Amino acid sequence: MTRSARRRYLQESATFYAFMLPAILFILLFIVYPMIHSLILPFFQWKGYGEAKFIGLRNFKTMFTEDEYFWTALKNSVLFSLSGTVGTVLIGFVLAVFVDLKIRFWRMYRFFFFLTVSVSVVITGLLWVKILDPFGLLNTVLGYLNLAHLQKVWLGDTSTAMPAIILTAIWQYSGFTMIFFLAGMQSIDEEIYESAMIDGASKTRRVFSITIPLLKHVFSVVTMLQLIFSFKVFDQVWVMTKGGPAGATEVLGTHLYTDAFRLIRFGYASVIAFIMFVVAIIFSSVYIKISGYTRTIQRI
Amino acid sequence: MTKAKRGGASGWLIHPLLIVWALLQLYPIFWLIISSLKPSAEIQAHIFALPRSLYLDNYNFGVFNQRGITIATYLVNSAIVTVASIVILTVVSLLAGYAIAKLNGPGKNLIIILLVGMLGIPVHSLIIPLYYFIAKAHLLSNFWGLILPYVAFYLPFSILLLQTYFRDFPNEIIEAAKIDGCNKFRVFSSIVMPVSMGGISTVLIINFLNVWNEFLFSLVIMKSNAAKTLPVGLMSFRGQYNVDWGPMLAAMFLASLPPIVFYLVFHQNIIKGMTAGSLKG
Repeated sequence: MTRSARRRYLQESATFYAFMLPAILFILLFIVYPMIHSLILPFFQWKGYGEAKFIGLRNFKTMFTEDEYFWTALKNSVLFSLSGTVGTVLIGFVLAVFVDLKIRFWRMYRFFFFLTVSVSVVITGLLWVKILDPFGLLNTVLGYLNLAHLQKVWLGDTSTAMPAIILTAIWQYSGFTMIFFLAGMQSIDEEIYESAMIDGASKTRRVFSITIPLLKHVFSVVTMLQLIFSFKVFDQVWVMTKGGPAGATEVLGTHLYTDAFRLIRFGYASVIAFIMFVVAIIFSSVYIKISGYTRTIQRI
Repeated sequence: MTKAKRGGASGWLIHPLLIVWALLQLYPIFWLIISSLKPSAEIQAHIFALPRSLYLDNYNFGVFNQRGITIATYLVNSAIVTVASIVILTVVSLLAGYAIAKLNGPGKNLIIILLVGMLGIPVHSLIIPLYYFIAKAHLLSNFWGLILPYVAFYLPFSILLLQTYFRDFPNEIIEAAKIDGCNKFRVFSSIVMPVSMGGISTVLIINFLNVWNEFLFSLVIMKSNAAKTLPVGLMSFRGQYNVDWGPMLAAMFLASLPPIVFYLVFHQNIIKGMTAGSLKG
């Protein structure tokens, strides 16, 4: 390297890091540092003040063998993310297929279907509390329809509380998955559809033989995104049931919050954080692989 | 749009389905608005009825008054935290996004991989050490205690989104400006930034929604009632008063109004930005 080329390289690197510096500082302080801390904490007994005591794997052992809420929470988190993801991906796809037909008012439909995504989960959660209330909208409608025998205390019943929360999530986020499918559909070449039409393929046939195969990539990206988002669920459950009744809707997020900030068992609660972290790493690495970010990096 | 996709006369078959779903989605929000204009007793008695007259007492902030702290306090808190967070976030991610798209330095690839990796990190798993860290810094119940972590959380997404806008900017123009004697900051601030307004507004809008609606961190960090943001403040009303639904619904409507208005005005940016940031690099 000549002297001037070397100088240019150093100068360029210095500018690069000058531009990056604020971002690097924020991320080191508020993401990397706590992340390292949260990977160490599960091995300690700690109340948030005083000396933390190293206890090896005891927190893990207690959680796996003695804490019945942990297994419920894990089961519910998995149930919530799997059924929530399947629901939002399927409904989002169907909505996108219809909206993409560009029938009259399609822009308006797209606008309406995505609206709930912009509203806070706290608001929609509280709204659904009112809908599912013993004297709420749903039971009133059932009363009108002479179906009073179906009325339930939806969020107070251990058998209906979790499904109700999952349906609320699907209601709120189907518009989110829809826009990903729409973005994907817009990149499909019109001519493919035209030649299929000339060959006499029905509309349903076209969806199954053209749209779905060509959107395979979008399907996997959206599915991973939804899994990542929904596995960390906390707000919705906290607002609607606080994990009740009798722990029936406890998820990892609420279990973590209760253990850490109600019972002040920081070390113990960190085990849950640790597990959520590991699961997220697995999901994210799959997501990075399929989303094409690795290809982007090679391009740069 | 050609006929092949449009599908001819199928409209009248599809409209009913779409209308049913749209009603399912919109009715709860419509119900929220009309019920917030009814006295609580009437909400109980005639849950579906339209308001007989506009009953505005629910919007009297004094209803939930706790030693001078009302819904107005929470509104102001949310506004301060949100505005400060998104302004800082935009400046920091602009700089970093530009560096990634147009500058070079050792370790750049590693930085990109780490940023992408952070997209999927559940911030919940960081809440315990962060709480402790912020407590140590004496920032509990302080706006900065919330603003600084928010900036960090939404940075990876914002940087990666902005760099896609910068990347499309032709290098030739940058080179030409340099030959004309512009230094790198000058190139950035007077040439590249102005044409990237689309990206900048998208980042602002999406982060506005993220920060305004954030719940868990605010719940943990804003411990004193006077410092709470809207979502957390709403929950505390619910706990203390056994839910007086009239004023509660009014407060909920007020809290969802800014995001809804933002969505009305900027839905194009929001929809485009959300997919661009995650579908392609």
